[in-house]
Order: sequence, then structure tokens, then C-alpha cells
Amino acid sequence: MLGIQSIASYLPKGSVDNLEQADRFETDREFVEQKIGVTTLPKFEAQDSVVSASIAAFKSLCEKQSIDPAEIECVVLCTQNPDNGGLPHNSALVHAELGLPEDCACFDIGLGCSGYVYGLSVIQSFMAANGMKKGLLFTCDPYSRILNPEDKNTCLLFGDAASVTLISDTPRYTLSSAKFSTKGAGSAALHKNGSLLEMNGRAVFNFALQDVPKQIKRVLESAELKMENVDLFLLHQGSRFMLENMIKRTGIPADKAPIRLSETGNTVSSSIPLLLEKELDNSPGTILMSGFGVGLSWATAIYTQVK
Amino acid sequence: MDREEAAKIVMSMLEKNVEGLKMSEDKMGETLENLGVDSLDMMLVVMDAGEAAGITISDDEAEKLDTPDKIVEFIAKQ
Repeated sequence: MLGIQSIASYLPKGSVDNLEQADRFETDREFVEQKIGVTTLPKFEAQDSVVSASIAAFKSLCEKQSIDPAEIECVVLCTQNPDNGGLPHNSALVHAELGLPEDCACFDIGLGCSGYVYGLSVIQSFMAANGMKKGLLFTCDPYSRILNPEDKNTCLLFGDAASVTLISDTPRYTLSSAKFSTKGAGSAALHKNGSLLEMNGRAVFNFALQDVPKQIKRVLESAELKMENVDLFLLHQGSRFMLENMIKRTGIPADKAPIRLSETGNTVSSSIPLLLEKELDNSPGTILMSGFGVGLSWATAIYTQVK
Repeated sequence: MDREEAAKIVMSMLEKNVEGLKMSEDKMGETLENLGVDSLDMMLVVMDAGEAAGITISDDEAEKLDTPDKIVEFIAKQ
């Protein structure tokens, strides 16, 4: 059975002091620190790219895990802000940089904050259907490329990052149950107008607090689990205020749902992998992941440890 | 829903969601900003009040509700 074997991430060296940004926007520093919950935003520098950040994440993975590139049969890369406008698909560029074999499927998927949960399911299903044993799922969505520098609603929130997850037939975690939802009629809440991101904060907030908890509960029900049976809840790190209220409204034990975005901000499809990388050392038995955002799209999955 | 019931809901949602805020009738006409309700708290208060009253408040409507009284009136009218 295929599943998650290992994971690594990359944060660019460049960063933005979010409290200085708060001053620039004449926004209370305490509000930015306590409510948004972000003091530093990692940001791509001129030389950074989706491909270079993905390669850096892969190098970090190789420090933890022996990987023979010749064995990689599949690369999936999740981004909505690819290099070169996505032509060629960035997974092919990663394939070239890593010197992967020709017998290796490569494709990109375009999803935002639900992308990691979707991506895991996509790559595992594709690999299983085609008899593959080792694959890589990358996430990298540099929102700094599309932020309007005058828009405090987005500038104070989003950071850049990349991650890579090794999917293999010797997994540490396998998928138990998942649900995927879309509310396309609400997609204007997070969209690109021209080349810049626009966000209706209230619409996203309402969506996160009203729709996502229902899906989390449905996934638990379908897996015949209760909140207390889950060891770790990895929720997309949108903002501290949104997370605190989502945790409360869903009835998730707060000590099982880390809020860790102070040094990263909202890194879109990389936010759950950043958490997962840190938490895997504690070997949680059952993990629930929930990603939600652009689309509006949301996805929740439960992964259990292989004994 | 009558105004009194709507006012109870709005006052209780403000007190529940805004740390240190004690509501009274004389504060109902104040702007939420003057009551120390920040932009995120406002979203939560309006959402919670709508849910408690069993109504949906659209984003456009919510944007105009900048005093407790306006939220009360909106709920009472539904």
C-alpha cells in the first residue's frame, strides 16, 4: 500500500518583517501579532523560483532519507503561481534538475490551500493505478508574485515556502478516509484580478468557519472516529484568529491542533506540510488534515500510522 | 424576531467574542470600532449573531452593519 514515507520543506532566505509592514499600513502591531498571528513572512528573492525552491526542499529531504533518483516514477507539483506561466509544467523542470529517469510521470496540479490534501490523494491514486512504487509530491505557491503591495488584507498574511513529500510503498502513514468539496459560486472570494490577488476576507472567514467544520465532522463520522481518537489536527494555517475560532467551533481539543504561522504566514498549499514535517518526529498515530481556500475548495483526510 | 430578542442576541455575541467588553443599552448606537471591536471580531460577531438568529447575512449586508443597533435592526427585520 502506498502512503507518506517522509517529508521536507524549504523556506526562502528572504523575509518581510510583518510588524514593520503593519506600521506601513497604519495597522496596530498587536493586531498583526495576536490576531493575524504573523511576525515574519518568508519571501522569494529575485533568484528564487518554484523550481529552485522545490529542488531545495528535495535536498533537505535527501538529508533525512536515502533516495535513489532512479527509483522515482512520479512527480506531482501543486502550484497556482508556476514559473514561466506553467509552460512547461514545472514538474518537468524539477524532473530535469533532479536528473530523474524518463520512465517518470510528471504533472502539475493547480489548487490553492486545499492542494496538499488533494495532491496526496491524486499522487497516491495515480501511482497505485499505474503500479508505481516511489513518487514525489511538491507544493510551492509563491504568493509574493501576485500580492498587491498596497493591499494590507493580503500583504500581512501570505508567505512563500515549498515542500516535498515522498510517497512510497514503504509508508509511515496511509490514507484512511477523505472528503473533497467545492463551492465554485463563491470563488470570487479569492481570485486574481489582472495579475494581482484579491481577497474578500469576510467571505473567506465565513467559509472557513461555517463549511470546513462540517466536513471535518463528516470525515470523522465516515471513519467511525471521534475527536478524541485523533492525535493531531493539521489545519491550514490561514490566520491565528481564524484557526482559534475554527478549533473552538469544531470542538477540536486545542492542544491537538498546532497554530504555527508566526514565522511563515499563510503559505497556501505548503502550510500543512510545514506542520506535518515538524510533527512527524512525535509519531502521532492518527492525523487529520484539512486544507481550505481558493475555489472555494476544501479537503479533509485522515492518515493513520503504519504499525 | 422582535427587537428585544435580537438585542439580547447581539449583546451576548459581542460580550462572548470581544474580550473585556460589557454591553449596555446606551452603547448600542456606538460604532463597533469605538467599542473596541476590531475588524476580525466584527466578522465573528456578525456571523455568530446571524447564526443565533437563524438568518443568513450576506457579505454586502454585513459590511453596512457598523453599530450594534444596525445589527439588531437587520435581524429584527427578517
